[in-house]
Amino acid sequence: MNRYEFIVIGAGPAGLSGAIEAAKAGMKVLVIDENHRPGGQLFKQIHKFFGSREHKAKIRGFMIGEKLLEEATSLGVEVRLDTTVMGIYKNREIICTKDDKIEHIKGDHILVAAGASENMIPFEGWTLPGVIGAGAAQTMMNLHGVRPGNKILMVGSGNVGLVVSYQLMQAGCDVVAIIDAAPRIGGYGVHASKVARTGVPFHLSHTVVKANGDDHVTSATIGKVDSNWKIVEGSQKTLEVDTICIAVGLSPMSQLLRTAGCLMAEVPQKGGLIPVCSDYTQTSLPGIYAAGDVAGIEEASSAMIQGRIAGAQAARNSGYISDEEFLVRVTDLKKSLGQLREGMFGHEMKGRTDIVKTEEGFTLSKSLLEKGYIDESELASFPAAAACENEYEVHPIIECTQNIPCNPCQDVCSKGCIIVGDKITKLPIISDTATCTGCAMCVASCPGQAIFLVKKSEDGSAIISLPYEFLPIPQKGDKGMALDRKGESVCEAEVVLVQSAKALDHTVVLSIMVPAKYADKARFFRAGGEKL
Amino acid sequence: MKNLQDRSVDMGEFVAMPDDDLIICRCEEITKGEIRRAVHDGMTSLIEIKRYLRSGMGLCQGQTCAKLVRAVVAAECKASPAQFELAQPRSPARPIEMRTFANEE
Repeated sequence: MNRYEFIVIGAGPAGLSGAIEAAKAGMKVLVIDENHRPGGQLFKQIHKFFGSREHKAKIRGFMIGEKLLEEATSLGVEVRLDTTVMGIYKNREIICTKDDKIEHIKGDHILVAAGASENMIPFEGWTLPGVIGAGAAQTMMNLHGVRPGNKILMVGSGNVGLVVSYQLMQAGCDVVAIIDAAPRIGGYGVHASKVARTGVPFHLSHTVVKANGDDHVTSATIGKVDSNWKIVEGSQKTLEVDTICIAVGLSPMSQLLRTAGCLMAEVPQKGGLIPVCSDYTQTSLPGIYAAGDVAGIEEASSAMIQGRIAGAQAARNSGYISDEEFLVRVTDLKKSLGQLREGMFGHEMKGRTDIVKTEEGFTLSKSLLEKGYIDESELASFPAAAACENEYEVHPIIECTQNIPCNPCQDVCSKGCIIVGDKITKLPIISDTATCTGCAMCVASCPGQAIFLVKKSEDGSAIISLPYEFLPIPQKGDKGMALDRKGESVCEAEVVLVQSAKALDHTVVLSIMVPAKYADKARFFRAGGEKL
Repeated sequence: MKNLQDRSVDMGEFVAMPDDDLIICRCEEITKGEIRRAVHDGMTSLIEIKRYLRSGMGLCQGQTCAKLVRAVVAAECKASPAQFELAQPRSPARPIEMRTFANEE
């Protein structure tokens, strides 16, 4: 029987990070994954991540995946793919299967980083072709280059629903609506806004009643729900869609931990049944650790840190690093993890709908929570979103109004114009002393695409620089319509500059010229005024 | 917590519902009506439901339907889903052919 010092089940962000951490300490590491490609969900994540530099913020998920793989390979980590772990048995013996063969392997330490699976909701017609998980849609688009459908209804307004909606549009789909049974949008406001400004409507307190069609989805019936989650009679309406994407949360894939006999607990905020773990990812069974979504649903950035903690723990427990080294390392990691868990979307806050103010005391935009965009009248109360004193100078307008853990704007501004401070969930503010040069790095780096540069001219025009990630990329001189935050045309606009330097990492910065009176309204550009 | 194992509790008559033919476990094609009937037949724990109906014993091994089945059973018992322990998973965690099992290295 083969024996490894550290076996990692699952080659996603948590698993690879754990493997790297342990291998760095000198352990002999094996990573097993049942998929054909390593990386878990990372390679589907084509958007820029939140967080700070140490969390790999503003780097697109798949790039992070490639870096992790490179690092693991260079450290001599063995990765076995297409290999399924069937169970974890006594004394940390695992059985795995590949190509119709069974193999027993023993691990001194085992990290279970099996991830999660998508939740489903049953409704009439939910088994029709065309009803798919949002994660499945992402796999089809971003891994296989297949558009899952043409006209999409997204069910669920959490970050997954919002991010996948945006990516569906990038793939050329028409997102007809985003609905959620809850009365407010679950994900980051900035994610909602970048979808809303293209004209996608949100229907809150709505659920899908029926998928219509004989052998595939041809339309969807949605209806309003009352406070008891019952459909309000007469509220049903039919949307013409060919695809219904379900993004209603994830459940930890904790079967292996349960077969091993780990003590489990039902924690709804963390997605269901999860292992009871120590502060250092140790389960109730000696030598078995859990990290990432399997230990409670969060996101990839925190999964990577948890994986590292598990790797460090295994290295300490087998004597590769001293207790002191372990404590130093883990204190760092814990601090980093803590930063990601702060703010109004932190995992302790999950499901809370009673938050009405930011940490700084600003009243949250109600319109943002209910419609996906900030009402212009609400914007003025946020310091970095208000117009600056000399509006004839180029200056950033930052429409970032919720406490989310993110600070690339501060990080990339070489002039120090944008200040978030040490607590990365704070809202950015604009420095009184530094001067914006209009480099637009903040515009392209903001993972929430919430930063715009505005410059008014004496001649009554204004130039708005906005982030743009759709194809075809507009060219200088192109004419079209400027859209407002809810995606409605407000005026004609002309592209006067297209920036696509490598440092912008595929977020093109479009500068459009509009009449100055629309400078506070125009937030998106549509070439020729047609729909995306 | 009420004693869900108490089979002497009168659950009342089984009343047919319009969405009884809604499939809940798609791998084994078990409907909402079948699950509700099973509860009236005395199956009030999720492991009993699983053994009685084969729900959650198909390709996905309950990864998709475990919570859905639980919601149906809980509603029928007029209890909160959190009161029902999910059925204990067993190795093999994924469906596997018997001949593979014989193919040990």
